[in-house]
Amino acid sequence: MTIQSLDPRITRAGIPSEDSRPLEPKEDLDQFETWEVFHQQKRGDFSEHVGSLHAPNAELALVMAKEQYARRFKCVGIWVVRTADILTLNTEDEDIFATNAEKKYRDAGGYRVGNRVSAFKQQQAQAKSEGAA
Amino acid sequence: MYGNLSIVDTPAGQQAADDPELLAAFEARIDRGEKIEPHDWMPAEYRRQLIRMIEQHAHSEIIGALPEGTWITRAPGFKRKMALMAKVQDEVGHAQLLYSAAETLGKPREAMIDDLLSGKSKYSNVFNYPALTWADTAVIAWLIDAGAIINQHTNAKGSYGPYCRALARICIEESFHLKYGYDNVVTLATGTPTQRAMLQEALNRWWGPIMHFHGPPDKVSQHTEKLVRWKVKMATNDAMRQEFLDTYVPKIWELGLTVPDPNLRKNEETGEWEFSDPDWDEFKRVINGDGPCNAERLAVRRMAEEQGRWVRQALRKPNHAYVAPLS
Amino acid sequence: MNEAAITDLITRLADDALIIAHRNSEWTGLGPMLEEDIAFSSIAQDKLGHAQALYNILHTNFGQPDPDTVAFTRNEAQFRCCHLVELPIGDYAFSLIRHFLHDAAEWVRYEALEQSTVVPLAQLARKIKGEIKYHLFHAKTWVVQLGAQGNEESHARMQSALNETFPLALGMFEPSEFDGELAAAGIYPGEGQVQQRWLELIAPVLEQATLRMPLVEGADLAASYGGRKGYHTVHLQPMLNEMAEVYRIDPAAEW
Repeated sequence: MTIQSLDPRITRAGIPSEDSRPLEPKEDLDQFETWEVFHQQKRGDFSEHVGSLHAPNAELALVMAKEQYARRFKCVGIWVVRTADILTLNTEDEDIFATNAEKKYRDAGGYRVGNRVSAFKQQQAQAKSEGAA
Repeated sequence: MYGNLSIVDTPAGQQAADDPELLAAFEARIDRGEKIEPHDWMPAEYRRQLIRMIEQHAHSEIIGALPEGTWITRAPGFKRKMALMAKVQDEVGHAQLLYSAAETLGKPREAMIDDLLSGKSKYSNVFNYPALTWADTAVIAWLIDAGAIINQHTNAKGSYGPYCRALARICIEESFHLKYGYDNVVTLATGTPTQRAMLQEALNRWWGPIMHFHGPPDKVSQHTEKLVRWKVKMATNDAMRQEFLDTYVPKIWELGLTVPDPNLRKNEETGEWEFSDPDWDEFKRVINGDGPCNAERLAVRRMAEEQGRWVRQALRKPNHAYVAPLS
Repeated sequence: MNEAAITDLITRLADDALIIAHRNSEWTGLGPMLEEDIAFSSIAQDKLGHAQALYNILHTNFGQPDPDTVAFTRNEAQFRCCHLVELPIGDYAFSLIRHFLHDAAEWVRYEALEQSTVVPLAQLARKIKGEIKYHLFHAKTWVVQLGAQGNEESHARMQSALNETFPLALGMFEPSEFDGELAAAGIYPGEGQVQQRWLELIAPVLEQATLRMPLVEGADLAASYGGRKGYHTVHLQPMLNEMAEVYRIDPAAEW
């Protein structure tokens, strides 16, 4: 006896309706290695990380990435890279990115010359008028 | 598509107590509205609950592909045929995204599929009901997806980064499902008498499972104040059910369809919907394996896994190593 | 205008696309791994779109009924698809090899059609080129992987699927009474030429996949002809009945 389903595909598959075979647990890597996927939405954009997938090698990872991450939305390019090959500094080391306040010298906002130029111009104007007097 | 299954939750058992300082920092981060990322320290119970929840959500997507898949070879007309394929594909795609999110917490996809097939891990109860006619797929695509969207939008505001990211993408695709489903329902509702009757019958069949969808009432489900504080559970079952009824019952009535519950009405004083108590014994029975389609759903998943095994075995390389997804 | 010739050509193309799309869609939700499940189903969905677009050309330009009526109400004798696309899905090796052989032919056909003097056909060919490029990329990658990079079992399954499908695949190029007329009018180069280019396209891929092309075995390779004239395998009519089960409840209704 096989399963008679409402789904004709399932009926055709001929699945035994009483299946007493023990389940065979999946072997390691049954679902393959992990890959990270980056996509570029339009020309001129950075390629951004969009997620991951499982695939047995780079070629198939690329084939799969195209459909899983670019079948619906606009995309002009896609990269895949083996997750194991990525070196990361992660959020648990977030403090490594802490920036101290006194590093103003390397920010645009750390340089406020406008006031000084105005003061200088004022001073010059004053000196000029005093000289003229 | 995913509802709530809090009734099958089991207590954590013995777990090492969390370091109070780390716990305080973790909770402070959540209070500040920041997300938790995979490599952060997190309480063991937080990890366990999230794996359970995301995994069930993923299983629900892959099993959820089956009731609608019932009609994939019979969808009437090009538009419906293509749209149904696109929708079922999306469900499989959602499973893929969600398994990845769960994997970042340390459980490989292999283990999750094993637990699905052995019945150890559950999926949304609603998919243990059959899609008897084409109209059932319309009701599923509209109302079950609507319920799922409420759930998913709520969960997308949770605290775990990878789950939120997956849900953000899923929600975009679900909005197509909802529109597709509604369009399908409206077409049948405004169609021939045969089409209308087919739709009403499907709605009658699905109303029970729909009322079960967001899980048992809050008064009987195990309240875990901690899960709320940790932003794992974002809204109560009752609140989500009320939101669902409030948005969709008027739309159902508007089409001249009836809901098979004589007690369903909105109490204008409280603003709450009142309805007959759903059959929670049935809900429990079905979760525990005794629904109309439980056996078939798992047998089909098992067949698909077994049928595909030679493909996977052929390309597995022994020198590879399993690595969890980055984020 | 070579109306009968053009209608016959487009019907062949459209029927092939519809039937293989339907067959491949049967894997949706049941594929060998999640990622591939999505890819294969998405390809099938593209092909349904191609079929619809082709029927639409017939409808708009050549007075045929609308695409739904054409696809969902004809019986097998009115179909012009080849036998290759009609067969049930088989194992995944069968479906992949069929996908490869069929899509390689599709690539060659549409490449030629880009230059067709039938303007809507040339426009469509240019529009769907990218999709077919991906379909062929997908097919080639799988065939090479399971043929050359897999194990003994995968190689054996792929070879056996190739042996089984090859005569059916040759049936894709069943000569048409209109071949000369179509070529002369610059509409389509004709099946003989397309088959030759197809062989040139698949040979290096099969070699890379370490699969033997049955052609050189000297075995009896009678091409499976008849489909283009309305003679089909036993599999087509039941498939059509299944496909139209809901539609035929009321073909006049909107679904």
